[in-house]
Amino acid sequence: MKWYVYLALKQLFPTGKRISFFAAMSIVGVALGVVVLFVVQSVMEGFQYNIKKMIVDTQGDVRVDSKHMIFDVDKLEDFLRNFPGVAAVARYAYGMMMLKYDDRTGFPTIKGVDIENEAKVIDLRKFIKQGNLENFNCGGIVLNDEMARSVGATVGSSVEVFSPKIVEETSSGEIILQRTFDVSAIYETGYQNVAMIAIDTLQDLYGLGEGVHGFSLRLVPGVMPEKVAFELNKDLPKEIVAMSWQEMNKGLMFALQTEKAMMSLVLMFVLLIAAFSIAGSLLASVIRKTREIGLFSALGGTVWQCAMCFVLQGAIIGIIGSFIGIIVGMVTLKFRNIIMVGFLRLCGVEDFMMKFYSFANMPSRYGKGDVLTLVAFAVFLCCLAGVLPALKVAKINPAEALRNE
Amino acid sequence: MNDDYIVKLGNVRKTFGDFMVFDDVSFGIKRRETVSICGDSGSGKTTLVNVIGLLEQPTHGRIFWNGKSVINQKMSYVAKLRSEMFGYIFQRCNLILELNVIENLLFPRRIADKIDSGDVAFAKKLLNQVKLDGFEERNVSTLSGGERQRVAAIRAMMNNPRVIIADEPTGSLDEKSANLVMDMIINLCDTYDSSLLLITHNPRFAQKMQTAYVLSNCTLTRVE
Repeated sequence: MKWYVYLALKQLFPTGKRISFFAAMSIVGVALGVVVLFVVQSVMEGFQYNIKKMIVDTQGDVRVDSKHMIFDVDKLEDFLRNFPGVAAVARYAYGMMMLKYDDRTGFPTIKGVDIENEAKVIDLRKFIKQGNLENFNCGGIVLNDEMARSVGATVGSSVEVFSPKIVEETSSGEIILQRTFDVSAIYETGYQNVAMIAIDTLQDLYGLGEGVHGFSLRLVPGVMPEKVAFELNKDLPKEIVAMSWQEMNKGLMFALQTEKAMMSLVLMFVLLIAAFSIAGSLLASVIRKTREIGLFSALGGTVWQCAMCFVLQGAIIGIIGSFIGIIVGMVTLKFRNIIMVGFLRLCGVEDFMMKFYSFANMPSRYGKGDVLTLVAFAVFLCCLAGVLPALKVAKINPAEALRNE
Repeated sequence: MNDDYIVKLGNVRKTFGDFMVFDDVSFGIKRRETVSICGDSGSGKTTLVNVIGLLEQPTHGRIFWNGKSVINQKMSYVAKLRSEMFGYIFQRCNLILELNVIENLLFPRRIADKIDSGDVAFAKKLLNQVKLDGFEERNVSTLSGGERQRVAAIRAMMNNPRVIIADEPTGSLDEKSANLVMDMIINLCDTYDSSLLLITHNPRFAQKMQTAYVLSNCTLTRVE
């Protein structure tokens, strides 16, 4: 072992003591910074992953849409079904309507689906909280939980739906009654205000004939949605466009990425503060040990080797601090729900948080890449913290250092 | 240049800006020779020692170690050579507080990158010679001034240097400890064939050396 590596280790972990006070404080500082950054990034990543998964689960991997109605439905559906990488295809049409239950009204987007094919693209049963899809094709409607709550409907309730076509025809003198649907099921995705009815009913309500608005595609696992969308667009007519879920939600994806990046940027200041405190302590150490630095030169060391000793101290603090930080972070994430519930209970806002943020289970997700990036960043900062004192050491004249009292 | 000299200075001058520290200093140290340099405080003794070890560059003149000029050599080369040529003992022992006694003794071997299994035995032997048996694992902060200086003295011997440079090694010790430490340094140099360059205020210690110089008024004069 090179003498400056040995000395760097000994200055942090002196013989006869487990650890120096400076090393302990510095390691704790770095570890705390890493814990905060790691936990927040993992939770943000967890949220992001859940949202992405929810989007894919509820929208499919790829959507094929047109600016106009698509009437050549069967031909296009066959083409899509036989396209390489496509596992399932479901047609849909949609439109905004007024929904009324008792004296309460809501304005959901109503999606008409072919329930058998839709179930192959989207695992509807996963999201259904109440009811089932048995009577869906016999005048049934599936409501989003938010909409059901706002109009006060439950499974079995009869709701009235008014389409723009009904309003249009009523204004031209005809009296057409609203359609009544029985609520078959209530589903929960957390972000969509969409109700579902059978596609032929929606086509009738909107006067679409046999036309549909588009198709949802489920791909074979492992196939890249962007690639399939790109290949499809080569073969589809100009007015029909295939879009991957990423492209459809790029605004949301960008917002989520930006939110995570900004959060990380803010929290990086915790690590910066730790690094500055290391730099300050090492600078004080350089001043305190000036004579020692002169001695190392007298014994045959070079000033650059002496300087390296301080950079290494920063690096060692960074490595140990990050390691401890990651371990503590992982333990924190493992018990995150217990910690969160305890904290909310302490603040007396447990019910509030549960109700409005659905925080019963705080998501978290991290990969090797995240851990390595964070560790590399923390070690890099700590090395930088060691560079400043090292530069000061490099400027020290050994003879003057030995005279230093 | 006479190759009998381990260290030789020729017409060396050292100035700090306009301030002349010494001029035209020419002297040498032979193998196993003991040399003293006396002088008042501020006369430039320590600067001369630093110039000899090239811890400080001379303003003018030539310096030879083992007959080879070391002026204008690469600092890394000079540093390596320094660890083989010189063993330093300072007034303040400069022991490393984070290391225990044996680790302090082995440290010059680490810097020279020559540490091996025989070094611990050698260090223990030296400890025995300065009557510090059993001090191997002691923390240096628990040692007395005399004990520390003895540890510093044997640390200087660890690389088996050609010259021991002792810059007022007894300056911070009481008379009894000073005598003890001084005798030990002389004995160690004698035992391990090292020359000794002693910088001292104490004329009694200076007289113990084979050759004595006085540095005064920027001039180094041999005392006959």
